[in-house]
Amino acid sequence: AGRMATVIDGYPERSMWLVELSNFFLPEVNRRLEEAGLEVFDFQESYGGSIVNPRGVLEGLRLGLGDMGIVTTIFHASELPSQAIAAVTPFISSNAAIVARAIDEIANEFPDMREEFASENQVYLATGVVLDSYQMFSTRPINTLADMADLRVAGAGYNLRYLEGLDGAVGVRGGLTDFYNMVQTGVTEAAMLWPEAANTFAIAEVAPHMLRANLGSVNTKSLTVNADFWATLSPEVQAVLQEVAIDYRDRMAEVAMEQASVSEAAFVEAGGTITDLSDADRASWAAAMPNIAQEWAQGLDDAGKNGSAMLDAYINKLIAAGETPARNWSTEA
Amino acid sequence: MSPFEIGLISVVAMVVMIYLGVYIPIALGMVSFVTIWILRDSFQLPLALLKIAVGDSVTQYSFATIPLFTFMGLIVSKAGMGEDVYRVMNTVFYRITGGVGMATVGANALFAAVTGSSIASASVFTKVAVPEMMKLNYNKRFAVGVVAGSSVLGMIIPPSAMLIIYAIVAEQSVGHMFLAGIIPGIMLSGAYILAIWVMARLWPRFVVNEGAVNKAPEDLMSAAQLLMLSLPLVGLVITVLGGIYTGWLTPVEAGAAGAALGLVLAIARGKINLKSFWNALLETGHITAAILFLITAASMYSRMLGIAGVPNALGDFLETYQLGFAAVMVMLVLLMLFLGTLLDTASIILIVVPLFLPIVEPLGVNLVWFGIIVVIGAEIGLLTPPLGISCFVIKSTISDPTISLKDVFMGALPFAAVMLCVLLVLIEFPILSTVLLP
Amino acid sequence: MRGINMLSRVFSVIAKALNATGTLVVLALVVMINSDVVSRNLFNAPFPGTYEMVQFLMVMIVFLQLPDVIRINRLTRSDGALAVLAMDRPRAARVIARIIDSASCIFMGLIAFAIWPELQRSWGSGAFFGTPGIFTAPYWPIHLAILVSSTLSSAIFATKAITGKRRPEHLHLEESGA
Ligand code: NA
Ligand code: NA
Repeated sequence: AGRMATVIDGYPERSMWLVELSNFFLPEVNRRLEEAGLEVFDFQESYGGSIVNPRGVLEGLRLGLGDMGIVTTIFHASELPSQAIAAVTPFISSNAAIVARAIDEIANEFPDMREEFASENQVYLATGVVLDSYQMFSTRPINTLADMADLRVAGAGYNLRYLEGLDGAVGVRGGLTDFYNMVQTGVTEAAMLWPEAANTFAIAEVAPHMLRANLGSVNTKSLTVNADFWATLSPEVQAVLQEVAIDYRDRMAEVAMEQASVSEAAFVEAGGTITDLSDADRASWAAAMPNIAQEWAQGLDDAGKNGSAMLDAYINKLIAAGETPARNWSTEA
Repeated sequence: MSPFEIGLISVVAMVVMIYLGVYIPIALGMVSFVTIWILRDSFQLPLALLKIAVGDSVTQYSFATIPLFTFMGLIVSKAGMGEDVYRVMNTVFYRITGGVGMATVGANALFAAVTGSSIASASVFTKVAVPEMMKLNYNKRFAVGVVAGSSVLGMIIPPSAMLIIYAIVAEQSVGHMFLAGIIPGIMLSGAYILAIWVMARLWPRFVVNEGAVNKAPEDLMSAAQLLMLSLPLVGLVITVLGGIYTGWLTPVEAGAAGAALGLVLAIARGKINLKSFWNALLETGHITAAILFLITAASMYSRMLGIAGVPNALGDFLETYQLGFAAVMVMLVLLMLFLGTLLDTASIILIVVPLFLPIVEPLGVNLVWFGIIVVIGAEIGLLTPPLGISCFVIKSTISDPTISLKDVFMGALPFAAVMLCVLLVLIEFPILSTVLLP
Repeated sequence: MRGINMLSRVFSVIAKALNATGTLVVLALVVMINSDVVSRNLFNAPFPGTYEMVQFLMVMIVFLQLPDVIRINRLTRSDGALAVLAMDRPRAARVIARIIDSASCIFMGLIAFAIWPELQRSWGSGAFFGTPGIFTAPYWPIHLAILVSSTLSSAIFATKAITGKRRPEHLHLEESGA
């Protein structure tokens, strides 16, 4: 019994954020509702493409095919431009929890993120940061920046732009599931992904050298609720959803960090080696890149939004949390 | 009524509509639309689903394999490569009783490695192999039967539109599906050749008429000629399958490279002009649109099943009655044989996979292997009456009025039986499909 | 009836024109992917945006060709039962065929109806796919192609239903590329 609510995502139910959603978020919401003497939900969970595929969640929630769900924001550079904030600011933080908190503070202090979801007929609850940091996995050892000359690297989205300043290095677009094959067969000699994914896709077999370049942690998910559905909920129920969403966000960041260290150990166990990129090299890599953060901010500013202000605030939050940027994208002219 | 019952009724309604002659994508889309409308008591919901299904089903990179491999197959057929392969095979097999039949199978198997269509195989080999077998006093039913039976190889041996379709709906890699199809395809070819050999020994009258003379064909070739005729084909196969296997090319890129190479070969041999080139492109577009519209409608159908909870309920049913994996496979094969009486291969795959995939996935089976089973099972329908597309193509291509459609079906029957046997072997030994996978 | 035949001819001309355009897109697909492969392997310079362009061209191929596929009766169907019925009861078969075409007209109309607000949205918002700075393509041409295609398909089904010209006894062998 209870109020029916359809929960959707296109990824398989074994995915880390869905395991946490299913085992923590949904039962915890009901537990707190019950505690407060409110009507609980009867959650109908539909994952793994039974209603929408991963790219279709945003549209599915907009059109009411689901009442709540997890939007993978990296697919929607057009509809959700503000969500790219972490992707365009590499080389600052590799701590999922810090990034997650900073993103949500930006969402609360500036109207942009919520407005973008509102125009998709959705209410934003919390961000999801499910990876600690992008790293470089290669077929041959890379110890310095110079070793990366003429390297062909598999990547996707904004990651590909990280290579732009590197001498001769080229990005080849591919999905996470293609990386193993691309590297194995020499289409590329390296791939950018995070340790947990590297472990899942057995990257150690083909690219046993991980360069810990700490490109950075990126927000890729958002937990949202269909706005029409939201409007039917009492303020008390809305408050419970919002509170638990924050706990869910922090739990997920914690799990992401745990999995990262477990995965790095497994990578070494499977015959991989891990080399740290020197701070000097990391700084020169960051310096070599075009300032994609300001490009991004300028684009938003031009559209009458708070691009530069968000960028500035976001980086300051990371610094305040104890991070040291290899390059401060917002302060340079 | 429970959602599960409504969902089940709508599946049955859909099959009935298809049997009545409703366009298959329309039947899939329409029934799914109405079912969701009833289940959720909202017109907006199925409309939203339709939007999503139409919008994102076609915008997928791997779909590009369909036009590319279709175009390659059409160009290669126009270049006369089928005839070449047949002459090569005839030189190999001509001494044996039933040898022309074996040559047809062998030629089909090789030709299949560059074309993804059974129609192309059936029409090419009806023109070259059937007249030759009639001349050599072969039984007419055998002559057309062997062409029909071996035409299905085109869709099992990669490249194959059906392997691509399965890869898309089951979210498997197209490259893996192609690799998995190689051994089953070779096995089926071998089984056909063996069956012909056995038939020629045990029931010679089915193979050749009374007083048959096993004359040597006139166009036997020297080793040099054999090499010359085989090289272009081998080059294409190496480019396409080699490119995929080594990973140098994605399946999409391999398709594009194969299409370009096939075009170069056709031009080099003077077998193509601007008009036939345009026609091949046109035909490619038509086939692509028909298949992808079907896939779009099928994605609507599989979402409807998900909303009604049909696969979950079927899974629970199997669990309750302690029906294991074997029962699922028996159900699957029987359903495919039943649908195969009237439906085309792509439609069978698109109807069966969304029903069974959620059931077999938790059983931990290899989904690439499952795809091979579904594709071969669905292709048996090409050979079975009343609607067997390969048999129809042969009947409509053949000029001999004494050969009836019934003759074609009767001739194809032993080959359909061989297919079923091979299918059972493949079900029993999944390693045969998975051993080449990386 | 004459009016309908006129309309039917107009629809045919449009369908053929879209079809020819779609055919050129097939050629563009072959050329583009091969150029990318060559450029990547010989010059270490893959084209940015090939992936997105392929997605974009696929939509164009499918929806530009669809009305013509319907026009020449090559949309996938299994009309064996209808053909058998046509031998004994030609009139009944004709009626069923018309009902089927009417239902198909409605379904294609539903697609047009569903996609219209999406076209308005993507046109108004300038929505795109891809990554800024690497490659982006606008969404609206996709929605426009789907809208035009489904509207024309619906109209072609309507003329088929009204004129009842299509002979159910005729079988289509190459449908779905089997
Ligand atoms: Na083939
Ligand atoms: Na059949």
